Amino acid sequence: MAFPFKRGDNGKRDLMNVRSLVASLSIFVAFSTVVLAQATIEGRVELPKTKSAPVMAKHYEIVTSGGVLGTNPPLAVVYLEGSFSKPANLPTKQVAQKDLAFVPALLAVQVGTKVEFPNLEKDTYHNIFSYSPAKRFDLGRYRPDEKPVPSVVFDVAGLVTLRCDIHEHMRGLLLVLATPHFVVTDENGRFRLSGLPAGHYTLKAWIDSRTTHEHAVDLNSGSTLHVDFP
Amino acid sequence: MLVVAGLTASGLYLAQRRANADVQRDLEQNFQADLAALHRVEEVRYAALAERCRSLVAKPRIHAALEDNALDLLYPSAKDELRDIMQDESNPQPDEISRLPHARFYRFLDGTGSLLPPPNADDVGVLGPEEESQLALKPLPKTQQVGYLLRGRGTEEETIDEIIALPITSSETSEVIAALVIGFKPLEVVEKRGPNDVRSGIWLNDWLHLPALPEDARNVLDQKITRLLRDADKVEHSSRIDISGEPYLLFYKLLNPESAFPPAYEVSVHPLQMWFALQNRLRWQILIAGAVLLLLGFGASHLIANRLAQPVEKLAIDSEVNRARRKKVEAALASTHEELQRSTRFSADASHQLKTPVTVLRVGIEELLRRENLAPDIYDELSALHHQTYRLTGVIDDLLLLSRMDAGRLKIDFGAVNLTELINEWLDDLNALPDPLGLDVKAHLPSTLYIAGERRYTSLVLQNLLENARKYNRPGGRIHVTAREEEGSIYLTVGNSGPPIPAEMQPHIFERFSRGANGETVAGHGIGLNLARELVRLHGGDLNLVSSDVEWTEFEVRFRPAHDLAVNGERPV
Repeated sequence: MAFPFKRGDNGKRDLMNVRSLVASLSIFVAFSTVVLAQATIEGRVELPKTKSAPVMAKHYEIVTSGGVLGTNPPLAVVYLEGSFSKPANLPTKQVAQKDLAFVPALLAVQVGTKVEFPNLEKDTYHNIFSYSPAKRFDLGRYRPDEKPVPSVVFDVAGLVTLRCDIHEHMRGLLLVLATPHFVVTDENGRFRLSGLPAGHYTLKAWIDSRTTHEHAVDLNSGSTLHVDFP
Repeated sequence: MLVVAGLTASGLYLAQRRANADVQRDLEQNFQADLAALHRVEEVRYAALAERCRSLVAKPRIHAALEDNALDLLYPSAKDELRDIMQDESNPQPDEISRLPHARFYRFLDGTGSLLPPPNADDVGVLGPEEESQLALKPLPKTQQVGYLLRGRGTEEETIDEIIALPITSSETSEVIAALVIGFKPLEVVEKRGPNDVRSGIWLNDWLHLPALPEDARNVLDQKITRLLRDADKVEHSSRIDISGEPYLLFYKLLNPESAFPPAYEVSVHPLQMWFALQNRLRWQILIAGAVLLLLGFGASHLIANRLAQPVEKLAIDSEVNRARRKKVEAALASTHEELQRSTRFSADASHQLKTPVTVLRVGIEELLRRENLAPDIYDELSALHHQTYRLTGVIDDLLLLSRMDAGRLKIDFGAVNLTELINEWLDDLNALPDPLGLDVKAHLPSTLYIAGERRYTSLVLQNLLENARKYNRPGGRIHVTAREEEGSIYLTVGNSGPPIPAEMQPHIFERFSRGANGETVAGHGIGLNLARELVRLHGGDLNLVSSDVEWTEFEVRFRPAHDLAVNGERPV
């Protein structure tokens, strides 16, 4: 997020940066005004057992097991399903390629989010593409210092498998969600979703490409709900 | 000869049979070697292909299309990925590149093994629906499979394509989720198409693809192989067959063992006509060479045997001749001996038979001479007759002696004989005899001189020689007797004056009954010298005529000295 400010020589870019700054500011203002009226859900998702002890806590990779795509060590995405108004402006997200892997390995975004795919290798090309029904795209080959940073706007909800045409083992997962209310759990499966609107909803926990748990929730203003999956 | 011929014939037969077997084995080995070489090349090719195909099926886009439910993108992605492996029929590559295996077509099979139809057949190689259906593999194999695809069966463009099915394993599930089937033009061995060259093809799905053979021959072969595969070897086989009356050696071998695709066989037929012709020619050459060798051998052995036999035969003839001659000689000798014996016996008998009447005659004459009233002339006459009887007795004694010598019955009883004394006695006797010629007798003798001999026979020799010397002398002539020892021998010479012995007579004077030409006037019976010589020789010496000229005739006798006897172990002196 530091890049926009450093590129002062580009007027258009400055304008965009200012606009995004304004957008995040407005979200912050909205959040702070409704925070007391909003509900919160917290709990824990029972994550699949890790097959091997994690080498580094922060290093995730996409693994396949019995045809199921998930992360290792396992992570889950908890989100509130329902119809929400689409915000006018969504923050740009990034999935970088570093050491021949996607970072982060799993990213959840709201529909309409623009995701950048910067190549952070020293001198390795990448060719990120996806044949997933939710989004087919092909960024072509690009160098580490490719400008502008190749990006894709994900406008359909669904799971997108990210691949590299050059490095066949590389896999990344992008969960495109229709809702703005989602969070990725920590390694222990704990999560906390706050600022939720009151109402009757379905809370879902995406664990891997085949497993999504769901839980009906009634949210009341100012209350905090505890939900454990499954 | 029969044995040699038989051995040679059986040797030739065995050699020929062995050559026959060798030819068949060589052909089979050639085929196996060719096939092995082909398979090695194929293996290398497969390895290259497989490597290429494995990298193809690992391509992320193809995986993405299959795994991420994007089958519509499968063939388009593959078109990009397989671009360099597909043969561009419209734009043939230069030779070096086209020699690399290029695919003629490819198709994907889905997870059930059914064919995934391509959106645009032009991009993936056009195949008929019948051909496409042969590519399906149910269930989907877990490993690479090799098969063959017959295209345009029975048409001019009939070809066989080699197909490789590569399973595609999901990177997510590790299961085989699809397969890529790629068709290649099979590796073609550069074939010479002479009438005697090997023809090879492929048998697949009850159909023999062997365009090098004429259609009817192909049909016959097709049926044969189909039968053989049903009844006999399912993997490889070789046998001799006839196709439209011509002999061939047939080989086939399974090309794709344990493949999920239908079995395909490499088939090759070797025309044997030329081999047979060659073999025939070889057989004849061997036979003729063998016969010629045999004949030469016989000829040579015959010549050698002849040459060896010739001297033997000659020897046999010679020895036969010799034997005949010897027999003849032996017979002659035997008859001569017999005659000699007979004549000797005759002389002896005759002498004995004669002696008695002579004695009777002498005694009768002596009776008559004793009468006192005999007229003097009758007395003289009877005296002469009486003298003749003595002469007759002497002749008979000589003959008896001779015949005894001839019969080999006379043996000298050697002793020491005093030659001087003996000569003196005889000279005394000579002097006592009436001497009408008035001869002068002289002797030069050592005082004693002993010779080896028997006195009575030595005496006979001296008597003969001295009587001759007196008899053949002239009136008032001389007789000279000498004796001496010289060089281990004792020499006695008796010389006398008188008419010479004619030169032509000299060699014959020692023969029996020979007398000098003038001898008829002198009394003698012609055996004296002969007897003397025979006796001297029995003494171990000799008697020779030394000289005979107008004045002087001289004989020389050689005796052994008496002391020789001691040396020779005979009776000592």
